[in-house]
Amino acid sequence: MTDTLEPDTFELAAAARPTSLVDLLDRVLATGIVLSGDVTICLADVDLVTVRLRALITSVREEERDG
Amino acid sequence: MSEGASSPGTYLYAVTRSVSSALLNGVCGIGGAELRAVPAGDVAGVVSTVSLDEFGEDALSRNLEDLAWLERVAREHDAVVQALAARTTTVPLRLGAVYTDDHSAASRVSDARAAALATLDVLDGREEWGVKLYAIRPQTTAAQPADRPTSGLDYLRRRRGELERTADDARALAEDADAVFADLRAAAVLARRHRPQDPALSGVSHPMLLNAAFLVGRDDRPQFHRAVDSLASTRAPGAVVITGPWPPYSFAALDDR
Repeated sequence: MTDTLEPDTFELAAAARPTSLVDLLDRVLATGIVLSGDVTICLADVDLVTVRLRALITSVREEERDG
Repeated sequence: MSEGASSPGTYLYAVTRSVSSALLNGVCGIGGAELRAVPAGDVAGVVSTVSLDEFGEDALSRNLEDLAWLERVAREHDAVVQALAARTTTVPLRLGAVYTDDHSAASRVSDARAAALATLDVLDGREEWGVKLYAIRPQTTAAQPADRPTSGLDYLRRRRGELERTADDARALAEDADAVFADLRAAAVLARRHRPQDPALSGVSHPMLLNAAFLVGRDDRPQFHRAVDSLASTRAPGAVVITGPWPPYSFAALDDR
């Protein structure tokens, strides 16, 4: 079966509205199949909320230090 | 710092049925790397080479806490998945799956072949939409009665009433979120709830009641949008936010929940 579709529908919608980072992280860090890599940690095992919060806090601290 | 010769790894973005060169045309991987396919029978993984200086186990744990790094890689990962999903049915991988080489990546894809094929069947012709619901109150400023409590007992009675009202409110809001979720689920093929986003991360001060994803047939997109519009029309502006279409991230792992 063919599963090709017109690419412009996707691209137009994506271009019209920039994706918010948090919406994106909800998906790329917390969903998607996990075929654990043989090199890296399995992200399913990481507390992703902690990762996200730590990332945010670190970046805020850096801004304060730089600013 | 060690010198330039860093060891390479294979980063896996997604699994599709088969990969033609046209599928990967004009799409770059993380750091601008070239994409390639690792075939595994009737499915294939889409991969690129990354440096283990950046994606090795220790480096990745460190980098995940660096928001600038995380944002760049998340957007590059997403760009690949979006480009693939626009062209063929795609099962996205979670960010950060790295293998020692293509052979190792192919063997993991091959192990997951049956589940991947079943998932691809479900995802055919469908796309993901995100819907977030915020608690936005109408601006009623006269919240507190101006008179002071007449006694300690009066104070305690008022305080209890206040707490009960807050609990009732919370219950009503949770029921509202459940109702919205049920309404939209009826207009979708599959639905799932993500954890509501922390205001510190989302930048929206209103509490988030619902953070949901819906798998919708492409042909049913207008009906789904009408369902969202009709919910939004009964609420404060900005209370209902729709995002998408997304590649089917939230519905890639069908068998683990």
